[in-house]
Amino acid sequence: MQPTRVLAVDDEERFLTSLAKLLAKKGYQVETATGGAQALSILTDHDVDVMILDVKMPGMDGMTTFKEAKKIRPLMEVIMLTGHATVDTALEAIKIGAFEYLMKPCAIDELIEKVKQAADRKGLLLGQPKG
Amino acid sequence: MADQPTTDYSSIRRRILAAMLIVPGIPCMLALAVGYYYFYNSLKSETMAKIERIADSHRQLVEAFLDERTNDLKLIINSYEYEELARPGQLTRVFENLTQSRSGFMDLSLFNSEGVHVAYVGPYDLAGIVYKQEKWFKEVIQKQEYISDVFLGFRKVPHFIIAVTRTTGEKTWVVRATVDTALFDQTVGNVRIGTTGEAYIVNKDGNLQTIRRSGGLLMEPDEDAPSYLTAHDRIRTFLGTNRAGEKYVYATAWMKDNNWLLVVRQQRADAFRQLALATNLIALVLLVGGFLLAAAARYATDQIVRRLKQMDQDKSLLSRQLVAAERLAEVGQMAAGVAHEINNPLQIIGTEQQLIELTVEEMQEGGELHDSENLAQVLDSLKQINLQIERCANITQGLLKFSRKQEQVVRLISLKDLVSDITNLVRRKAEVEGITIMEDISPALPEVMLDPAELQQVLLNLLNNAIDAISQKGGAMEGQIRITAQNQDGRVRISITDNGCGIKEADQQKIFSPFFTTKPVGQGTGLGLAVSYAIIDKMGGTIEVESLEGLGTTFSIYLPITATGSRPEETQAPKMKKSTAAPKASGPGGNGHAAN
Repeated sequence: MQPTRVLAVDDEERFLTSLAKLLAKKGYQVETATGGAQALSILTDHDVDVMILDVKMPGMDGMTTFKEAKKIRPLMEVIMLTGHATVDTALEAIKIGAFEYLMKPCAIDELIEKVKQAADRKGLLLGQPKG
Repeated sequence: MADQPTTDYSSIRRRILAAMLIVPGIPCMLALAVGYYYFYNSLKSETMAKIERIADSHRQLVEAFLDERTNDLKLIINSYEYEELARPGQLTRVFENLTQSRSGFMDLSLFNSEGVHVAYVGPYDLAGIVYKQEKWFKEVIQKQEYISDVFLGFRKVPHFIIAVTRTTGEKTWVVRATVDTALFDQTVGNVRIGTTGEAYIVNKDGNLQTIRRSGGLLMEPDEDAPSYLTAHDRIRTFLGTNRAGEKYVYATAWMKDNNWLLVVRQQRADAFRQLALATNLIALVLLVGGFLLAAAARYATDQIVRRLKQMDQDKSLLSRQLVAAERLAEVGQMAAGVAHEINNPLQIIGTEQQLIELTVEEMQEGGELHDSENLAQVLDSLKQINLQIERCANITQGLLKFSRKQEQVVRLISLKDLVSDITNLVRRKAEVEGITIMEDISPALPEVMLDPAELQQVLLNLLNNAIDAISQKGGAMEGQIRITAQNQDGRVRISITDNGCGIKEADQQKIFSPFFTTKPVGQGTGLGLAVSYAIIDKMGGTIEVESLEGLGTTFSIYLPITATGSRPEETQAPKMKKSTAAPKASGPGGNGHAAN
């Protein structure tokens, strides 16, 4: 069974690496990107099931990244991570197809749960459920 | 505000009052002055005209008196020859006839051209006296007829005479009569003008020819005469003052070939009695009107100044509230910024904690770590870190809620149910602390449009504060919390009263400020009431505190009763439902932070 492929995008590098380690321990295959541009280039080369995307980033912001990423991988599910002040943006993203948003600081258990749900959803849509 | 320069209301008051008195006062005084002026002039000319008329007719009367008597004598002298009259007894008969038809003659005399008193009828014994050198005799010889001034003559009694002459051939003779001065006085003095009006005659030298009613005997000089003895035609009217300082209205007329001056006069005050009346009336009008005006102006000024003060107070209150609101908003924004920044490191700490936990778990499973006291300690610490992260998250969420509009789930809710639910929620906790909760919730409470979660948060916060306040006070006193909810003046008032420790008066101003707390470090964030305030404010309501230190506190929430018919916008509903799931990320017990 192919592990769920996750791409985490956040400008906080330490968060990225720790999250990646955690997810890896939980059996996910994790890629990380510290910005929107890097994320898009990874997406071009790799297929990804679930993307964890910080809304507020320097450079390309979360919303733009979200739209561009959806163009590359339309079936990919996206979980938006947001600070309080950017909830509106996250809601916008949900309207145009994001799976869910979580507010920082979020409990890691919850994040992992959401990743699982997102992966399941994608699997359901594709008719091949994943673990 | 005591530190602001206080407005000088008394100065404003003075200025308004002055304007209110002067503006209507001046035209009023002018009108009265002009009225008085014209009335005075009209009255004066009327009075002058009247006294002139009287003087004119009176002169005619007096002249007629003298003319009649002169003509009587002329008739006698022309009716008889000298010899006839000189005959003893004849003059007596003539005199008797004369006095029958004419009053006012005292005696009758016949003189020859030498001035010898040939015959005499009268009370004095004057026959035989030679008058040739007397002034009147010379005059009558010269002028044919003569009326003398009043003089003493040989009889040494004031009198005046009328004399006429006739010349036949070489012979000239004179008939003379003495006029009864009493009758003449009566005739001249008989005028009635007001109470002080009088008439008298003075000669060219200013000596009285008739008795003057106001004082002055025959032949006495009138001291005031020089002031009016002037040559003039017809009748002269003027205002004059006598030696005694009394003012008179005069009318004078020359008569008897400008030898006598008839004087008709009346005291000015008497003549202008109506003026005095008008003056009194004007004074009364001024007094009463002035009083009314002053009273009205005072009243109006008081009203204006009162309103002004009220407005200033309202303004200062408003600006104070504005400043407070601005400060709260600023603090809120800053707090939001801080919270937002702290969320990122918190996220990392959380992730690290999870990583450690997972790693430790793996190490346990892999046999790298054995169960030991130390391991248990590490696991406990990790749990504690997680708890503290949650606590921090609560704080930052609270800050963000305080500062920023969070997604609301606005719907029509029953206040009665909501308040009851919350009360039941805290009842257990309160009972543990030995606190009785009493409810007084009006069944007539309306349904209102609001986010129930928010109101729950506020009420929970206030109830928790009340419980804390009671336990802080301690002692044997039984704790009581009273919750009332009722309609009041078109709003809903929800109040929570405790008999706890109360709030210091100085602190009452600050309790709604963020980060203000009276609780020990670590037990309160100082955000509960600030958030509550922000929530209620957002709902269009107000929250107030009343407290007596050591006795207890009442928090009152006033909520507007919105149009109960309106429903939340349906378009918004899905978005909101979605968002309710999300904030769970902030952890359970989202209200826990609310207690300050």
